Amino acid sequence: MDNVVEKQKPVVVTPRVKRSRFYYVGRILTYAILILGAIVFIFPFFWMISSSLMTLGETITRQLMPKVPQWVNYVDAWNQAKFSKYFLNSVLITLGTLAGLLITSILAGYAFGRIDFKGKNILFGLFLATMMIPESVTLIPNYLLIRGNIFPIPGGTWLNKYWSLTVPFIANAFSIFLLRQFFAQIPKELWDAARIDGADHLRFLIQVVLPISKAPIMTVLLFGFTGSWNAFQWPLLVTTNDTWRPIMVGLWSFVNEAGPQTHLLMAGAVISLIPILIIYFLTQKQFTQGIATTGLKG
Amino acid sequence: MTEATISVKPKVSGTTLHKLRTREQITGYLFTLPALIIILVFGLFPILYSFYMSLFNWRVTKGAFVGDKNYLLIFGNWTNLLITLAGVALIVGAFWVWSNAFKSLSKGETIAKVLAAVVMIVGGVVFVTGWGQMLDSGNPSFLKSLIVTLYYALGTVPAEVILGMILAFLLYQDIVGKDIFRMIYFLPYVTPSVTSAVVFQIIFSLRETSIANMIIGWFGISPQKWRFEPKPLLNLLGLDISGFLAGPSLALFSIMIYGIWSFVGYNTVIFLAGLGNIPKETYEAAEIDGASKSQMFRHITMPLLSPTTFYLTLIGFIGTFKAFNHIYVLRTPSAGDSVITTSLLIFDNFYKANQYGVATAQAIVLFLVILGLTLAQNKLMGERVFYG
Repeated sequence: MDNVVEKQKPVVVTPRVKRSRFYYVGRILTYAILILGAIVFIFPFFWMISSSLMTLGETITRQLMPKVPQWVNYVDAWNQAKFSKYFLNSVLITLGTLAGLLITSILAGYAFGRIDFKGKNILFGLFLATMMIPESVTLIPNYLLIRGNIFPIPGGTWLNKYWSLTVPFIANAFSIFLLRQFFAQIPKELWDAARIDGADHLRFLIQVVLPISKAPIMTVLLFGFTGSWNAFQWPLLVTTNDTWRPIMVGLWSFVNEAGPQTHLLMAGAVISLIPILIIYFLTQKQFTQGIATTGLKG
Repeated sequence: MTEATISVKPKVSGTTLHKLRTREQITGYLFTLPALIIILVFGLFPILYSFYMSLFNWRVTKGAFVGDKNYLLIFGNWTNLLITLAGVALIVGAFWVWSNAFKSLSKGETIAKVLAAVVMIVGGVVFVTGWGQMLDSGNPSFLKSLIVTLYYALGTVPAEVILGMILAFLLYQDIVGKDIFRMIYFLPYVTPSVTSAVVFQIIFSLRETSIANMIIGWFGISPQKWRFEPKPLLNLLGLDISGFLAGPSLALFSIMIYGIWSFVGYNTVIFLAGLGNIPKETYEAAEIDGASKSQMFRHITMPLLSPTTFYLTLIGFIGTFKAFNHIYVLRTPSAGDSVITTSLLIFDNFYKANQYGVATAQAIVLFLVILGLTLAQNKLMGERVFYG
C-alpha cells in the first residue's frame, strides 16, 4: 500500500517507476472531479450566452440551445434596452476613476514609501483603517454628503451627476498600500544618485520610479477597473435616472422595468461581461497573481 | 543643487539642513494631500457622522436628539445586551481554556476540559437568555437578519474553503491543461456579481422548466420554488424542526449555492499559491525518514497550509457580513425576511423606509460585530495557525 501511495505523490516525482492499477484509477478520478468542477463553473456562462441567442419563447420552454441563433437580440439590447447608454456611462465613469486613482495613489504611495514627514505613520495607519470599514457604515453619510445636505458642495447636488460616481473612488487605501510596498523597496542608491544629479522627488518619481513600477501600477489599474465596472450599491443610490446610470444598475433595473424578457436580459449580461473578460484573458497571469498575492477583490 | 552638497559634505550649516528638512516635510504632505482629502471626506468623516446621525431621530432630515434610543430599538435595553455579550464572552473564554488545555500537563488537561465544558454550557445558557430577552423587547427583524447572515456564513464559508482545498490539491499534481482548469475555476470570481446573479435569477426561477428544477428532476425530485420559497430547506426535506435549528430557507439556500459557485475558484487560486510556497525539500526529507503520504499530509501540508486556511476563513466570514450585491439581486418579495441579511436590512431601512437614524445605528452595530468576529477569530484560530 505504501508503494502505491508513494507513486501518487504530487511533489516528488520519481521517474521510471512501474505504475500500478491504483495510479491510473487515481488519475482518472482526479480528472473526473476536475472536469466536473469545470462544467459546474462554466455552465452558467454557457447558459447565459445560449439564452441570449434564443427567442423569448425558447427561453421559457426547457431548452439548452436556440434553434436559430437570434443575433438580433444583441442589437435590441444595445439600442432599445439602452445598454449602449449604460455601457458608455460605465466606460466614462471607469476612465475618470482610474485617472484620479492613479494620480492620488502614486503620489501618496511614494510619500509613504520614500519621504520622511511628521505624522506619517499615524496617517498611514488611519488610511489602512478605512479598509476595514464596511460600506454600510459610510453609505448613508456619503449619500447626504453628495446631495449637499451636510455642507454645500460645488454644483449644489451631485445626485445623478458624474462626480458622485467618480470622486469618492479616486483614492483608496488599498492602492496606496500596494504602491507603497513596492516603492519602499527601491534601493536608496538610486535616489542618492538622482539627488546628486539635482533631481527632486517629483522628477525622481516620474523619471526613475514610474518606469520600473509597471507591474504594481498595472495591478492598481486592474483592481480599480473591476471595482469601478462592477460597482452596484452606491450607483444604485445616486442614479435615479438614466443620465449617468452605469451598466450594472442598468442590468438590474432592466429586470424590474422591462419585465420578463430573458433573452434581452441575457444579451445585456453578456455585454456587461465583455470588458471584464477581455481584460481577464489579456492579463490573466497578472490578474490571478495580483489577487493571489494581495487577496482583495476590487 | 543644495541637496547634492549635503550628500557630499556632511557638515553644512544648521539652517540649510533645517530648510531642507522642512522642504522634505512639505513635499510629503503635498504628495499625500489629494488622497488624504478624498479618504478623509468619503472614508473617515462618514464614520463619525454615522455615529452622530445614530443619536438623532433622523428621517431624511435631522429630527430631535434621542441619545441611545435607536440602539435601544435594537436590543430592547442595555441589560439584555450585557447578558448576551457576557454569554458570548463565556463561550469564547471556554473555547480558549479548551484549546490551551492541550498544551498543559496531562493532569491539568482533564480538569481544564471539564471546566471549559461547564463554562461553555453556562455561557450558552446565558447567551440564549439574553438573546431571548432581546427578541422580546428589541427589534426582531434586526436580530433575525443577524441569524440569516450567520446561516449564510456557516453555509458558505466552510464549503468554499473545503472545495477550494480539494480542487487545489488535485490541480497541484501533474495535470494536463492545469492553466485552463485554473482559468475556468477563477472565472466566476472575476465575473461582476450583478451579471452572474442575474443569470442565477433565471437558473433558480420558480418555473418548472428552470435549470435548477431540471437538475433536481433528474433525481426524481418535484419542482421547487427556489428563490421564492421562504420555508426552511430541512422542512421541505420532511424534517419537522422549527426555530434556529430549522436552518436557512430554500431561498437563502439558493443564494448560498450562488455564493459558493462564485467564491470557490478564488480559494482554489489562493490555496494553489499556498501549496507552491511549501518547500519541496520538506517532503523529500520526510520521505527519506519513511513518512507515508497521509503522514506527510497531516504533519507537513496541513500545518504549513494553515495560515492560508485561516486567512480564507476570516475574509470569507467578513465578506458574508458585508455581502450585498448578489443578495440584493437574488432576493424575492415572497422569500420575505428569510433572505434579508443585516447589510440588506440596513439598506432597506435607509433607502425604502427612510429611517436614517435607525439605519446608521444598525450599521454601527454591524461594524462592531464584524470587528468582534475578526478579533475573536484572530484570537481563537490564530493560536493554532502555524506561521512558518
